[in-house]
Amino acid sequence: MSLRHLKAVVLKEIRHVLRDRWTFILVLVTPISLLFIMAYALTVDIEDVPIAVMDHDQSAVSRNFIQQLSAGEELDVVARANSLEEVERLLVDGTIKVGVIIQPAFGEYLVGQRGLRLQVIIDGTEPESGTFGMEQVAQRTEAFVVRSLPTGSAEWLRPIELKTRALYNPGLEPRVDLVPGLISMVLGLPALSVALALSREREHGTLEQVLVTPISRADLLVGKMIPYIAIGMINVVAIPIMAMAAFGIPFRGSFGLFFLVSIVFLFAMLSMGTLIGVFMRTQPAALALSFLVIFFPGFFMTGIFYPIAAMPDELQMEAMLLPGTHYAIITRSIFLRAVGLEILWPNVLALAGLGVVFTAVAAFFFKKRLG
Amino acid sequence: MNEENGNGGGPAAAERRDTVIETRGLARDFKDLRAIDGLDLTVRRGELFGLIGPDGAGKTTTLRLLAGLLKITDGSATVAGRDLTREPEAVKPHIGYMAQRFSLYAELTVMENLRFFSELYDVLPRERGERTDRLLSFAGLTPFKSRRAEHLSGGMKKKLALACTLIHQPPILLLDEPTTGVDPVSRREFWDILTELYTGGTTILVTTPYMDEADRCTQVGLIYQGQLIRCAAPEAIRAGIGEELIELQTDQWRKAQVVAEDLPGVSQVMTYGDSLHLLVDAAEERLPDIETRLEEEGIPYRSLRATRPRMEEAFISLVRDRERERLR
Repeated sequence: MSLRHLKAVVLKEIRHVLRDRWTFILVLVTPISLLFIMAYALTVDIEDVPIAVMDHDQSAVSRNFIQQLSAGEELDVVARANSLEEVERLLVDGTIKVGVIIQPAFGEYLVGQRGLRLQVIIDGTEPESGTFGMEQVAQRTEAFVVRSLPTGSAEWLRPIELKTRALYNPGLEPRVDLVPGLISMVLGLPALSVALALSREREHGTLEQVLVTPISRADLLVGKMIPYIAIGMINVVAIPIMAMAAFGIPFRGSFGLFFLVSIVFLFAMLSMGTLIGVFMRTQPAALALSFLVIFFPGFFMTGIFYPIAAMPDELQMEAMLLPGTHYAIITRSIFLRAVGLEILWPNVLALAGLGVVFTAVAAFFFKKRLG
Repeated sequence: MNEENGNGGGPAAAERRDTVIETRGLARDFKDLRAIDGLDLTVRRGELFGLIGPDGAGKTTTLRLLAGLLKITDGSATVAGRDLTREPEAVKPHIGYMAQRFSLYAELTVMENLRFFSELYDVLPRERGERTDRLLSFAGLTPFKSRRAEHLSGGMKKKLALACTLIHQPPILLLDEPTTGVDPVSRREFWDILTELYTGGTTILVTTPYMDEADRCTQVGLIYQGQLIRCAAPEAIRAGIGEELIELQTDQWRKAQVVAEDLPGVSQVMTYGDSLHLLVDAAEERLPDIETRLEEEGIPYRSLRATRPRMEEAFISLVRDRERERLR
């Protein structure tokens, strides 16, 4: 190791990042914008589900019920249908997602406490809005029924009332859980940059001129990683602020701990990127492999979207080899549960271990040769 | 032009004769292809050694092997007294290697590139300033020191690359086609710099596709299909090809070329501006025949005379001999 060599490589790489527009965009602008895009695109706020109502009852009760359905933001009664065929046509041409059919004698049955005569048809090709619409119809119906019944008889309908309380995310907002997880995805981008930076040097021939100097392999690799860790740290500060400001994600834990652990994570991710850069000789190849081993698994296997517990055993093992898995656990714990190192140390240790192993493998296979 | 200061006699010359680069049976395979095939090369201290050969002969591979950039498949190579198969890293501080492609950092300035390599070569900080200044003026780059390398002209890029290879004052220079793709003025300037380095005692091994450049070397090695097929001073190479040259100046060179190609004893006809160069087995013997034949065909000519073969003719003749030998 030579500090002079290390410094020279770090300085050179920082200059490159600052002067090469695309590298700059990739390392500094992309992570934050990607977080925004994914956070918005991957959590759906369904509003104004268009529905059609077919009223066979035509009573005061049914008119009242329809009014109840269209109250609020969630459902939007866009059509009144006169036949089942019309409901079907509206579903087919996409005008509505849900059709509500009020059977004859709806009001009488309700008042007579003989059950409800209501039919709901949903568009199964769009289950998201369909099921959401159905849930909404069910909720409204229940509220309507409870209100319509004489006082006291409502309890008879619901003998046990379950009151659930979700800890840490009381509204069960999907975004509160998703955004801290997504941070592990977007902070993985510097790994792509370092993989590209290494393969670019091979492509452009600049590596050839460096390889004939007396620099050691470790100095060259570590010197290339350090600038991207430093730049990643800017994102480590910026991203939680954005998450809090833009999505109202709570940050309940220690920021200092988050910052330090994030550096360990960046080290692990960058050593993965370096490993890719060592093996791939062209930038397109490095890009393709990065997607294959960093981003796709980072997306599907780190538990950001699908719980790791739901994966097959072999995949669970593999998930533990991904830095993102540990980091997603850490970010969620720090953001939402204010958990400290006393709980998270195995994950932090795993991150550090993965980083050391990846770096060692990269250094082992990186030869100061061209062919 | 360097013959007079190259291989002369005297005690100074004898001192210069120590071997600084030596390969024995050097071989390098790329998958199934044997790119270098038993290369025996000797470069002595203070030589300006030109390695010439057709494209794909193995010039670049040879230089990369000597720079430790490629693993040696077979044989041995010693550079600056260090065995490349055993300690390739130990060679690196003693050599300056310049790749054929421009391989400096495009988005760094001239000064930043020099500085970067001075640090990688452990040039002491107190020497750095004076040395970079000297190299900048040496390469004529002083006015451009704050310009990004990507904005330099082709010739300036080559000079910057050379300056970066010289930053640690290496006793041995390995230059891979340093003047390819450079305009004639820059090419001349570049060779002036090389001559100056050579005069200063640096051993230079340079590959080149230009035959006039080979003529400026003190020693020329002709590499063909991964082997060194001839190695001598340029004079000796030109004289020793076993063929002689006839120069024919005529306005009807197209017609003359067809006629000359069929004459007995003529092995090769090359166009050379407004004249034709005929490689023949014996010039004086063949001259009368050629004269007669030209008159028979009614081809007027301005001059017809035996002349000294140049490096280009020598090169072509040697390569052709070799090909013929292989076919046999």
